[in-house]
Amino acid sequence: MTMRSRFEELKVSMRPRVKEWKFMFLRIRKNSLALAGLIIVLFFAAIAMLAPVLAPPPPGSLDSFKIPNDPEIHVLTPNPTPPTLRHIFGTTDQQYDLYYACIWGTLTAFRTGLTVVGISLIVGLLVGTLAAYYGGMLDEVLMRFTDIIIAFPGLILAMALVIAFPAKIPINLSMLFVVMFALVSFVLLALRPSKKLLLVVQALLVLSLLSILYYPLTYDLNLSRLDKVLISITLVGWPGYTRVIRGEVLRVKNEDYIEASRASGSTDFGTIVKHIWPNTVYPILIVATLDIGSIVLSAAALSFIGIGAEPDFADWGQIIQRSRAWMSRPEQLIGNLHTFLIPGMFITSFVMGWNLLGDALRDVLDPTLRRR
Amino acid sequence: MSLETIVEVKDLKVNFYTYAGVVEALDGVNVSLREGEILGLVGETGSGKSVTSLSVMMLVPPPGRIEGGAIYVKKDSGQEDVLLMSDDSLRNMRGADISMIFQEPRAYLNPVYTVEDQISEVMLVHRKQEFLKNALDVLEKNRRGSTVEANTYRRMLKNPRSLGVRFIQKLSLKKTLKSEVRKEVAKVLKSVEIPDPERVCRMYPHELSGGMAQRVLIAMALACNPKVLIADEPTTNLDVTVQAQILNLIRLLKKDFKSSILYITHDLGVVAQLCDRVAVMYAGNVVETADVFEIFGSPYHPYTRALLESIPNPEKGFKSIPGIVPGLINPISGCRFRDRCSYAMEICQKVKPSFLEVKKGHFAACYLYGGSQ
Amino acid sequence: MSYLVQIRDLKKYFPILGGVLRRSVANVKAVDGVSIDVLKGECFGLVGESGCGKTTLGKTILRLYKPSTGHIFFGVPSDVVDEINALETSNPKSRRLRRLREQHDVSTYRGRDLLLLRRKMQIVYQDPTTSLDPRMLVKDIIAEPLVAQGIAKGEEAKKMVLEILSRVGLSDQAMYRFPHEFSGGQRQRVAIARALVSRPDFVILDEPTSAVDVSVRAQLLNLFTDLQKEYGLTYMFISHDLSIVECISHRVAIMYLGKIVEYSLTEQIFKKPLHPYSQALIASVPIPDPTRRKERPPLTGEVPSPVDPPAGCRFHPRCPLAMNICKQKEPQLLDAGSQHYVACFAVNPEKS
Repeated sequence: MTMRSRFEELKVSMRPRVKEWKFMFLRIRKNSLALAGLIIVLFFAAIAMLAPVLAPPPPGSLDSFKIPNDPEIHVLTPNPTPPTLRHIFGTTDQQYDLYYACIWGTLTAFRTGLTVVGISLIVGLLVGTLAAYYGGMLDEVLMRFTDIIIAFPGLILAMALVIAFPAKIPINLSMLFVVMFALVSFVLLALRPSKKLLLVVQALLVLSLLSILYYPLTYDLNLSRLDKVLISITLVGWPGYTRVIRGEVLRVKNEDYIEASRASGSTDFGTIVKHIWPNTVYPILIVATLDIGSIVLSAAALSFIGIGAEPDFADWGQIIQRSRAWMSRPEQLIGNLHTFLIPGMFITSFVMGWNLLGDALRDVLDPTLRRR
Repeated sequence: MSLETIVEVKDLKVNFYTYAGVVEALDGVNVSLREGEILGLVGETGSGKSVTSLSVMMLVPPPGRIEGGAIYVKKDSGQEDVLLMSDDSLRNMRGADISMIFQEPRAYLNPVYTVEDQISEVMLVHRKQEFLKNALDVLEKNRRGSTVEANTYRRMLKNPRSLGVRFIQKLSLKKTLKSEVRKEVAKVLKSVEIPDPERVCRMYPHELSGGMAQRVLIAMALACNPKVLIADEPTTNLDVTVQAQILNLIRLLKKDFKSSILYITHDLGVVAQLCDRVAVMYAGNVVETADVFEIFGSPYHPYTRALLESIPNPEKGFKSIPGIVPGLINPISGCRFRDRCSYAMEICQKVKPSFLEVKKGHFAACYLYGGSQ
Repeated sequence: MSYLVQIRDLKKYFPILGGVLRRSVANVKAVDGVSIDVLKGECFGLVGESGCGKTTLGKTILRLYKPSTGHIFFGVPSDVVDEINALETSNPKSRRLRRLREQHDVSTYRGRDLLLLRRKMQIVYQDPTTSLDPRMLVKDIIAEPLVAQGIAKGEEAKKMVLEILSRVGLSDQAMYRFPHEFSGGQRQRVAIARALVSRPDFVILDEPTSAVDVSVRAQLLNLFTDLQKEYGLTYMFISHDLSIVECISHRVAIMYLGKIVEYSLTEQIFKKPLHPYSQALIASVPIPDPTRRKERPPLTGEVPSPVDPPAGCRFHPRCPLAMNICKQKEPQLLDAGSQHYVACFAVNPEKS
């Protein structure tokens, strides 16, 4: 056995995984729809990353997400103007620049999609895995709670939550920490990890309890309207992931290698992290990818109704909402098509790109088709 | 094709087109099944025995494709090549002339239908005319020959494919027909030694034990009195006592129904107890075919010899065959057993040995016994 | 000659939940009162058909299931075992009994004791395709027991993995591959390597050759015997394949419906089986010799369900020698001469 540097070691150990990824990419390349989806998503990602370059915020603006109004025309004509050289996509009423809104709206869309999906994934992963792995009463309780949320029509519940959320939430941080550390230590007690971790968490619990008594920390959380939308959609969306993950974990839980892991002496936590999660993650990725599109659509819907982002925030749904007033009569409509068609096309292609990508992932990762 | 052979597989080539490459599953397989005999097809995983049997019924799943050769099935009017048959002829053949039973019986029974429903489905597909005539006879005997039911049956007999008939038969009551079929189903279940057939008729597959489910599957295969029965490892998943019962049943089938049986297995004990002739397969080729006493008494091919030696024996211990079965993607040239053969010669690396008759009725593919240069 | 594993009256019932409140309406009596002793360094064969409970017995010994009742003693001197047995019958509630059990009886172990036990007892599963995590590299699969039990990590673990890989006949390159890149026999070797990497004393082999080709079986069996000699292992070989058990085991026990019906030295069992079920079982094995063919199947009927086993002797509905007493009382495992234990009233008549 020759002496191997750490880097060489890493290269060798990653070789079979790299082979698998290459195989996957080959399949994506062969499927033209999948390729289209990937290109669309990458295109939008490029726009989002290059937003400051493509649509530089006007000098002296504090918040790049605030769409600028053109000062010259603003006072003279509150009506939307069609595309000109100065405003490439035209303007909507109050002379907000559509081009700026669409470019920075891409950034907002990514932020919306990824945040909501990210948090829902984490929550769903935790709840779903706990429910499926331990079963019994815990499973029943968690699932009934999840079912209650699913029972509500999603968008309507999100609307109610957005309206109900106050703009300013004073949070008693100490109380929050107490609750958080208590929950974490309960979960950890069930999973039986190393003693050190448990001690650390319990020390933090005691610290936060002390701080309640002697030095309570408060924090005023200011929620922008967009934040409220994100929180509401997350609260409505996480049960879906829980169900998917629970199903997957149930399927994997009874496999021989899980029992073999227990026979090797792994703790529950170790088994879950090393064996269950890597084998259940693929369907969840597919759901998540498909979901990003629908989440952005929901956020746009909420904005369109008027309870979404602030009036001059760069968000596609918000921009379309402004065009509502200019759509009622046919002669108005024809002249002002650009006010909703252009952001509408952005939304459509964004969602379609993610959907195609999700479909492609599903085809590629489908285990029955993989090795044929 | 001699008078006795009922199924002859000649030079069959089957390829599987997978993402990893082209798997040459069968490379010129020659097998012949004679009337009234039990032929054992022995081989390990990857030898191609299941693919051979599926090919006879033209049931090879994609990405598999039959690339060459012929499969002759003896019919009253002479012989016919299965690979050239039309879809209709194939459908008529499957279940009626040639039937198949599989390894995991409960996987091949539909879990939402009762036993009776499934067996009667097979029967109705192939023997519908017969049942209609019987039902009409019964009705006429009971002097109900001019009821709506009887007229429906007459219409169905006369023109089974007309749209009108197909529509009517979905709506009408077919009590007599059903009771006729039920009687046949009970009869066939009894012939596979299922106790209390009427009760079993109404059971669902998940209520049956492994042995019972396999008997039901055999009953389904026999429902239309096929001339040939293909059994793909039917007892591998069963307990050894149940296996003994099923083997006995298969022997009875041969005696009473005069069926010809192609029995696929990897268990040499079963082969010795059950089969009349044996064909040994390795990596997509048949390497030796002979009478069962010949195969066990004087095996010619080195693989057959090694296989017999690897049977666990308390006194002699177990001799294993070194190496592993070669991959079938880009298969090695020459004889596929050469890397594990203790008698390998230079020619074995280059050209595949042809299948020769080394003794009367005893064929082997090995350069030890001659072969083309 | 010391006993490594001693089992006394082990029972494992699986409750069947039914009804609205999911109460236990019946029990699957998978293992129903089994007592055996395994000698250190021997290969103990456990034979039976499906539903007899042999796999459950193996997994219960390993504490993958918690026993419903009974004792499992691992490496405990015989006098302690006898004392515990005596206390069970005379004074079941005594504190001394409880303390002794917590110390010696594996069925009461939890936490750290259980973890230490895992080091000494391991299992090789039947199907190597499902018993190896398809998304883990072979290196991680084999190193898992070392990491989980805190024996070694990182470089040291890698060294031990390489050592055991070469011992089971796989190359060094195998470490960095996925299980599906190997053949069935090689995957089983990986499973064996995983079981042996922590140097256990006792290994349960749960039908390790059933899912593997015939030509590879012999290779694996030779490997088992070599490893047993080299590492001084004790095996419990569970199988339904009687010919293999006959070749590899020193002593054999035959199970039927959760109970042991006969056990003795291998030659005695196979040359002269005494229990009617053993006789039928051994006679049912197809002999690979066409000149010796049997005409009638030795045993009719099916194995009854373990939820509702027949009263008295479990085998009486199918037994050719059934008598009246067989329907009423359960026969005990008694010595029918020269350490050949049988549970049958026809062999060991009940002395009234």
